[in-house]
Amino acid sequence: MSTEHSRRAHDILKDARKVAHHDATFWGLRQGHDKMAQQLPEWESLRDHASAIKRHVVTHLADYLEQFSNQLEGRGVIAHWAKDAQEANEMVYGILESHKVTKLVKSKSMLTEEIGLNDFLMRRGIDVVETDLGERILQLMHRKPAHIVVPAVHITKEEVAQCFEEHGISHEHGNCDPTYLTYCARLSLRKEFLQAGAGLTGCNFGVASTGDIVVCTNEGNADMTTSMPKLHIVTMGIEKLVPDYESLAVFQRLLCRCGTGQPTTTYTSHFRQARPGAEMHVVLVDNGRSEMLANPDHWETLKCIRCGACMNTCPVYRRSTGASYTYFIPGPIGVNLGMLRDPRVYSDNVSACSLCMSCNCVCPAKVNPGSQIYLWRQMLDSIGKADKMKKVMSRGMSVLFDNQRLYAAALNVAPLANIVPDALTRSAKLNPWGIGHAKPEFAKQTFHKWWKKNNKRGGLK
Amino acid sequence: MKKEDLLARLRQNTRQQYDMPRMDDLQGITYADTYRQFVDMTKSVGGKVVEARKTDDLSRLIRNLYPDATTFATNLPYLAFAQRNPDTVEAAQQLDGTDVGIVEGSVGVAENGCIWVPQTMKEKAVCFISEYLVIILDRQNIVDNMHQAYRRVSFDPRYNFGTFISGPSKTADIEQSLVMGAQAARGVTVIVVAD
Repeated sequence: MSTEHSRRAHDILKDARKVAHHDATFWGLRQGHDKMAQQLPEWESLRDHASAIKRHVVTHLADYLEQFSNQLEGRGVIAHWAKDAQEANEMVYGILESHKVTKLVKSKSMLTEEIGLNDFLMRRGIDVVETDLGERILQLMHRKPAHIVVPAVHITKEEVAQCFEEHGISHEHGNCDPTYLTYCARLSLRKEFLQAGAGLTGCNFGVASTGDIVVCTNEGNADMTTSMPKLHIVTMGIEKLVPDYESLAVFQRLLCRCGTGQPTTTYTSHFRQARPGAEMHVVLVDNGRSEMLANPDHWETLKCIRCGACMNTCPVYRRSTGASYTYFIPGPIGVNLGMLRDPRVYSDNVSACSLCMSCNCVCPAKVNPGSQIYLWRQMLDSIGKADKMKKVMSRGMSVLFDNQRLYAAALNVAPLANIVPDALTRSAKLNPWGIGHAKPEFAKQTFHKWWKKNNKRGGLK
Repeated sequence: MKKEDLLARLRQNTRQQYDMPRMDDLQGITYADTYRQFVDMTKSVGGKVVEARKTDDLSRLIRNLYPDATTFATNLPYLAFAQRNPDTVEAAQQLDGTDVGIVEGSVGVAENGCIWVPQTMKEKAVCFISEYLVIILDRQNIVDNMHQAYRRVSFDPRYNFGTFISGPSKTADIEQSLVMGAQAARGVTVIVVAD
């Protein structure tokens, strides 16, 4: 097997029951998406508008960022501009340090995963508490998210129960009822919210015309995160902007319907200024986004709103799970984001695609992740990452298909392959390609011969 | 990094610019019975709907809805029975332990059960920290879809915060089992007030 993704997937697939459950879970989310889409006659119009709005925003990003930050600063919100992960992390730490904050509660933010903020802060003595239940479970278990919307989908309730008991969050030994465990987490996190010196949120949408930071959650944890502490820090990628409320309505309607099959998240919160007596900071992070904009084939990846629909529908993601990808965001969009981050490091993931293009069909912003993966594959050879065996095979095939007589001769002897024992064609040493691929049975007669015999003038006999 | 440097780089790296699409050709869904859709949707996202008249005694209505509750919090002047007031507490933390928080919503949305709740109190914590939340909504302010709703949202300029709330706080993070009451309100009752 040629890539790290396929090696990891191979191991994961040994537990067939777990994979079947994973597959069914995400297919369920995909069906939820379909149900939502079918209820709205304007669904395709929404997607068309979402794509066009994002294409407009991303190609006018400087103007919108200027408008957005002017709005923020007009209400006393402090805007910071971070070139890369290091700068962003230092800025957040600097703000926390100047307020002598020792405990930070935070809601889910893929950007903070991208820049490694939690580790950065914890190494400097800040107690960072994730407050999204899934993220909190992962944090306590020292595990990584397996999905951007349902991060702890790979953890069983028994594992959660054991973890909560070890941390003194659950006091009933062996009780793994999800309602009970959720309630235990609620009580434990309540204390953290009350004590924290600062709250950090991500940002689903920034509204340029008004300066709103829009955060969508089902748990209300972003709201709890920002309701008690006297300091609110927002970290957001610079591509998160929408022009105005008219456009925001389009994305608000699509985000959750696509991601989880709900008509909306429970909370869609708009932050325009710090709450009374508090301070609000917004850290706008580039971290490679301005470079992505210059990429002629892949700049439209910046339109992504991180709904997760492409993962839910992806047959490869559903059957190989988030753990088999080498970039922290898995699935079709993760394959693309990884390649934009560093193609030499993350090229192993481009094999995790059957080019079925199902992701293209569900993506609300028409990022077309599948088509882009195809394009990435075309450049693998240029960075020395093309699979050597496949290169040899491709060369062999072009010789074969370019030479009519050779091709005809090969077809004549092809049925001999039928008598080669399976043990040989599926030997990992002799033919790694045979693993997981069934050998086709060659017909005794070639199509050419059959056609010549049966097709007299006037059609088939 | 300086803002100007980033903006310059973005302008330099932009290859082709695309216009904003026309928005007037986007038709949001409408319902034959908008109110019925709002009620059905609120129930399906885990909320309750109670109908009231403007002349009803809302204090009594709310106390009857939550007979076991002891601590109510609101800054609405017509609900004088509440023991806690988010305008006068010294710190948001003092609202912890509130059984029922009561707020007003200004726009209801039939397509998804969202209700726009602008912050009109010093401590918005009351909307989230209370075990149960009551949202009072005028029946006239229910619209079909989010496009209409976003034309009507407004902010109290003192606070500049607002949130759409659709049902109680929920999570499915443990094995995809839906549980109501993750970090915020465990239940939501919408009192729809009509003439």
